[in-house]
Amino acid sequence: MQRREFFKKMGSVVAVSAVIPMMSFAEEAKKLVGPNEFSYEKALNIITSGKGATASPKVTLKAPEIAENGAVVPVTVEVESPMTESDYVKTIHIFATKNNNSRCISVHLTPANAKAMFSARIKLGSTQDVVALIEMSDGSFLSAAQSVKVTIGGCG
Amino acid sequence: MEISRRDFMHIAAIFGLGVVGAGCASPKTPAQISLKDIYTFNAKGNFTLLHMCDIHAHIKPLYWREPSTLISAPNLVGTPGFLCGEAFSKHYGLEPSSLDAYFDTHMDFDTLAKKFGKMGGIAHMKTYLDHVRAERGAQNVLFLDSGDTWQGTGVALKTSGEAIVKAQNYLGVDVMVGHWEFTYGKERVLELIKMLDAKFISQNIIGNDPFADEYEELIFEPYTIEERGGAKIGIIGQSFPFTSTANPKEFTEGWSFGIRPETLQGYVDELRNEHKVDCVVVLSHDGFSVDQEVARMVSGIDFILSGHTHDPSPKPITINGTVIVIAGSHGKYVGRLDIDAKNGKVNGYEYKLVPIASNMIPADPAGVKLVEELYAPFATEFNEVLGKTKNTLYKRDTFFSTFDQLINDAIMDEMKCDISFTPGYRWGTTVLAGDDITMDNVYEMCGITYPNVYTFELKGQRIAALLEDIADNVFNANPLYQQGGDMSRLGGVTYSIAVANEAGKRISKLTVGGKPIDLDKTYIVSSWGGNLQNAGENLQKEKTRAVYDVTRDYIKRKKVVDVSNAGNVTLVDYDCGCPVKGSRSC
Repeated sequence: MQRREFFKKMGSVVAVSAVIPMMSFAEEAKKLVGPNEFSYEKALNIITSGKGATASPKVTLKAPEIAENGAVVPVTVEVESPMTESDYVKTIHIFATKNNNSRCISVHLTPANAKAMFSARIKLGSTQDVVALIEMSDGSFLSAAQSVKVTIGGCG
Repeated sequence: MEISRRDFMHIAAIFGLGVVGAGCASPKTPAQISLKDIYTFNAKGNFTLLHMCDIHAHIKPLYWREPSTLISAPNLVGTPGFLCGEAFSKHYGLEPSSLDAYFDTHMDFDTLAKKFGKMGGIAHMKTYLDHVRAERGAQNVLFLDSGDTWQGTGVALKTSGEAIVKAQNYLGVDVMVGHWEFTYGKERVLELIKMLDAKFISQNIIGNDPFADEYEELIFEPYTIEERGGAKIGIIGQSFPFTSTANPKEFTEGWSFGIRPETLQGYVDELRNEHKVDCVVVLSHDGFSVDQEVARMVSGIDFILSGHTHDPSPKPITINGTVIVIAGSHGKYVGRLDIDAKNGKVNGYEYKLVPIASNMIPADPAGVKLVEELYAPFATEFNEVLGKTKNTLYKRDTFFSTFDQLINDAIMDEMKCDISFTPGYRWGTTVLAGDDITMDNVYEMCGITYPNVYTFELKGQRIAALLEDIADNVFNANPLYQQGGDMSRLGGVTYSIAVANEAGKRISKLTVGGKPIDLDKTYIVSSWGGNLQNAGENLQKEKTRAVYDVTRDYIKRKKVVDVSNAGNVTLVDYDCGCPVKGSRSC
C-alpha cells in the first residue's frame, strides 16, 4: 500500500475514532449538568481524581503556534516510554482548554502499541492552550501544553 | 579585520573621542561619495553569496522612506528587527545625513532625497552584481532571493508576475523562496516557476489535501546543493510560514505552511552528514525576529539569509553560532556575504549591506531597455498624473502612515462607511511633498490580486475584539506568534494603545466618528486586503470595487491631497516611535 493511500484510509479511521470518546465522555458527564459545560479544570480533576498532572519533558506536544485553519489544527502527542508491561502509557488525552467541550479525544493504549504516539486534527474555537494529558501505568499523570493562536489573519 | 568608516565612527562614539571636526564637517554629498566607497569591500574566502529580499516588484528606482515608528513588545524593542530612526542610527553608528542614514532611516528624508536621489532599480542593481561577479569570478558567486519579489507594482499585477520573473532572469537569480508570490494562485506560481531560471525551494510547504497526490509530501524541493569556489553549499528554502493566514487561503488551498523547525533540523543534518556540505545556508522569508528564534531552535545552520520584515541590517547578528543577515526592501540594497568555507566548516566571513544608490551606480543599458519594454504596454495608464500631494506620502510605521490615510480617506469618501480598514503591509512607495501622484504610485501602494474593498456591518463589540486580535499579531512578546506586519490602519477611528499589556487588554479610548465606541451598535465597515469581511454581516455587494480604482478616483476628484502626519493612535507606554533597547523612550 502506498503511503498516501494509507493516509487516506487513516483519515477515515480518525473520523470514526473522534466520535467514540465523545460517547464515553457523555457517560462520565452524567453526574454533571451537561458535557458542554465541562471545563478543562473540571475534566482534569475528574480524570486525575484531583491529583492534577505534572508538566514533563517526556511529553512532546506538536502543534502550530498560529493555526492555518482553526477548524482543523494538526496536533501530535508523543510520550517517551519503554511501553513494557510494568511501565507504559495508558491514556493520551488531548484538550482544547477554552473550547465549550474541552476534551478532544482520549486514546487508550497497551504495551502492544509499542510506541506512545498519536496524531489528530482538532477544532479550536479561539486562541487557547492545547494540553496533552497523559495517564501512566503507575497511575501518575504527566502533561504538556502549548498556546495556539486562532486569528482572522490578514497580514497586520 | 579592516575597520570601515562606519565602524570607526561607532568606535569613536563609544570612546567619546569626539572626532575632531565630525560635528562640523558635512557628510559626503553624492559628488564626494564615489562609487569606490559603495563598492569597497574586504574580499574574503572562496565564494560570495549576494542576497536580495522583498524587492516587491520594484524594477525601477524609487523613493522609500524607512519607518519613524517601529514599536514592539518591551523585550523586543530596540533589538535588531525593531530598530528605527535615531535608535537605529545609534545602534549601527550611522553618520547623520550620510548616504547610509538616508537609506536606513526616515530622518531628514525629504532633504536627503533631493540630495541623493532614488534608490534601487534592476538596471543599477545589475551593475553592482556584475561588479562583484567580475571581482570574484562569476563561478564563485551565487545570487539568492528571499522572496516577495513578484508582487508590489502595477507591471507585476498586470502581467501576473511575468515581468518580474523576466527581471530575475536578467539579474541572474540562482535560488528563491516565496510569500506574496503565492497570491497569484498556486497554478500560476507553478507556471511562473517554469519561466524562472532560478530554483524555487521550500522545506516548509507540504500538501494537506488528503485526496491529492501530494498529501503529506513536499510541494517543492526542500534544498539545493550548489558548488562555488570549490565549496559545496547546502541551501535550504523557507517560505513565509503564515502565508495561509496572512493572505487569502484560496490561493494555496491544499498547501500547508508553518515554520516546521523539526524538518528544518532534519535537512540541516542530512546536508551535513549525508552530503558533507561545507556550509549550510537557510534562504528564508520567516522575518528577522522569527529567524532569530529559528536559530535558537535549530542547530548547525551557518547562515540565515532572511527576509519579510524589510529590515535593513548593516551588520549581521549571530545567535547560537548562526549568522543572520537581512537586506532591507524594495530593491534598495544588495547584501554581499563573502565566505571562507572548506572541509565541512566555515572559517570566516565578511558582510556588507550595499545601498543601490541610483545616482551613483550607473545603470546597465540592457536593464534600462528591459524595464522600458516591460512598462511600454501600460505606459498610458501608469503615467497618468492623478493629482499632487502637499505633504510626503509614505508607507510603513507601526500604526499610521500618510499614504494609508489617503487610501482610508478615499474609501470613507466613496463608501460612506463609519470605519475603514487598510492593511498594515510593509510594502508600497514614497511620493515626496509637492510631487505628482501617478497611477503607477497607486498600484505601488495597493496592487494586489484581491483588491476588493468590501463594505459590511460589524457590531462594536466585534470591532473592539478584532482590533485586540490584530494587535496581538503585531505585539506578542514571542516573535513566533507574530505575523510580521504592522497594525491595520483605521479611518474614522481613534484609540490609545498600551503595547506591553497582555493580549486582549491593550486598546482603550476607542472612538468612532469622534464618539466613544458603542459596543452594542452596528457600524458600517469597509475593508480591503484582509479577511475582515468574513466576520461581517450584510455585505453591500453593489459597493464592492477595487481599492486602486477607489483611490485613483478620489485623488482625481481632490486634485491636490493634503494628508497630515498627525496620526490617529495614542501610544500610552512609549514616549516616541523609535525607542532604544530596554527603554520606553529614545
